[in-house]
Amino acid sequence: MRNKKNRINRKTILAFVMLLVFFLLFAKLIYLQVFLHEKINRTVGKMVNHEAVEVPKRGDILDAKGNILATSIKSYTCFIDAKMIEDFEALKKVLYENGIKIKEKKIYDFKNMSYIPIAFNVDSFIVEKIKKTKLKGVGFEAKYIRRYPQGRLLAHILGITGCDGSGLEGIEKICNTSLSGEIIKTKIIRDGRGQIIRNQFLNTQEIHGCNVELTIDRNIQFIVEQELRKAFEIYKATKAICIVQDPKTGKILAMVSIPDFDCSDKIKNIKSLRNSAISDLYEPGSTFKIITMAAALEEGKVKLSDLLYLESGKFRIAGHTINDDHKIKGSVTLCRAFEMSSNIGMVKIAQRLGTDLFYDYIRKFGFYSLTGIDLPGEAKGLLMDVKRWNVLTLPNISFGQGIGVSALQIINAFSSLANDGVLLRPFVVQKIIKYNSEKEIFEKKEIRRVVSKGTACIMKKMLKNAVDLGTGKSAKIHGYTVGGKTGTAQKIDHSTKTYSTKYYTASFCGMVPAMNPRFVALVIIDEPKGSSYYASSVASPVFAKISKRIVEYLCIEKDDIK
Amino acid sequence: MRKQLYFGVSLIITVFVYLWQQNMSMRLAYKVSFLQSDYDKLNSENDILRLKINSNLALEKMDEIAKKNNLLRPDEKHIIYID
Repeated sequence: MRNKKNRINRKTILAFVMLLVFFLLFAKLIYLQVFLHEKINRTVGKMVNHEAVEVPKRGDILDAKGNILATSIKSYTCFIDAKMIEDFEALKKVLYENGIKIKEKKIYDFKNMSYIPIAFNVDSFIVEKIKKTKLKGVGFEAKYIRRYPQGRLLAHILGITGCDGSGLEGIEKICNTSLSGEIIKTKIIRDGRGQIIRNQFLNTQEIHGCNVELTIDRNIQFIVEQELRKAFEIYKATKAICIVQDPKTGKILAMVSIPDFDCSDKIKNIKSLRNSAISDLYEPGSTFKIITMAAALEEGKVKLSDLLYLESGKFRIAGHTINDDHKIKGSVTLCRAFEMSSNIGMVKIAQRLGTDLFYDYIRKFGFYSLTGIDLPGEAKGLLMDVKRWNVLTLPNISFGQGIGVSALQIINAFSSLANDGVLLRPFVVQKIIKYNSEKEIFEKKEIRRVVSKGTACIMKKMLKNAVDLGTGKSAKIHGYTVGGKTGTAQKIDHSTKTYSTKYYTASFCGMVPAMNPRFVALVIIDEPKGSSYYASSVASPVFAKISKRIVEYLCIEKDDIK
Repeated sequence: MRKQLYFGVSLIITVFVYLWQQNMSMRLAYKVSFLQSDYDKLNSENDILRLKINSNLALEKMDEIAKKNNLLRPDEKHIIYID
């Protein structure tokens, strides 16, 4: 009876103890779930949940035919986590086999560091090979780097990017917002083994930057660059510029400035970044005569039948003598004066036009104002306020002295005549293409009508005659009619502050075919050295070589059967 | 008794479905992660290959090769246009 009572007591105690244990466990559970719930959740969340930053790929820059001019590829920085290394010799061997050398001293010096970069711009193929070995202590950090597969071609137009990937010059700068894409943060979970678990599939194309398509044709750009570089070396020039434009749309087909640089290389000379075609000013010389002539014809101040007395090559105004290179005795027609590039003839025409009208036409043709091209660093030009013009300003400007213009302004003015008198905005970006093939298209933009169609037609004929019979003979190409104007401008000697007799700028601006131009091209050779500095022997032949190759490439039908 | 049995079975099925769904979502999350990394890898390889094609077809490079092989630009009379 006593034993039975003892057993019952023991059972009760056992049950009580078990109940107590369960009660304690239950109490702990309540404590953890109710009171510590937030703290534990936060701690676990920190261990498991991560935020991944998805860096977008910078968009590509393409030429008019879709060839890649600039692109970004994923590249890796290989780093060592000194604390995690288990087998240093094995790691060293694997890295060495893949072309990465580790300096033991470096590892020893930074043995407490978790991030010691040892190699940059590592290929993804090598990264995969090293990752497969599953060695501890080595890691890779991915980032996009910019590559320019065409090398030096188009360097000034494409521009450069900074180390953070943002555009600093050229199209890279102008289209930076479109090219950049958007950085997004996604939530990822890491399991116990460190593997990433994603809760959604991310279409990375959606966050990448848009592609930018240019009006530039890679082949025309190459032709221009090759011929211009040859001329630059032959004439030991300080600068050489060439622009090719489609006059009907304002599209820039090629734009080259030498000296240039390679976008992929380190920039050694910061000056080489300057795109002389749009940023540098020069005195245009005789190429500017088209403005004087077109304005006078448009205003009816001169007629084609008018005769001009050219003063036998010497004309005195306010104590200054204006000279003609080709001394012509007696009177000549308006066309002949233009063909022979007579300075005196132009002075006389400008005088009939008057200061105010002439100034208005200079502005109408787009000088002393930005053309609006979608490239950074465009220069406005230099032109004295009309109220401050003295007795010599009008005569000087009539033949292209005393005014500062950019190469782009000159070609755009020529293009306006080629386009039947309508001035267009020049542009280089024709499309911005989004990931879903949605396109933002940039069309031609009319600025204003400068002269009537009739005047433009007369000017085209005059330009054709200047090549056929005048100073631009060396710009002729077999089978095609060419219209154009030479320009040999004296440069200012800064030491004497007068026009130099040693330094010149030779230029030629022309259009092919002459009466229905498919393209307009401008060639400028700055300070050519050698036997001749005249545009007719320096710039025009370069124009001819470039134009010959372009007409072949564009399969332009021959229009000069003779 | 039968009611309790039904209740028990339906409870077990519900719990089982819940666990199965949790498990599947986990498996799918792993699969998505693997597919994502494969997709990124292929994209990156594609970019590199496109770059290589464009670098190899760079006009400057082709011109150099042409010069090395003594190739010249044909004269106008040597070109026959086929309509």
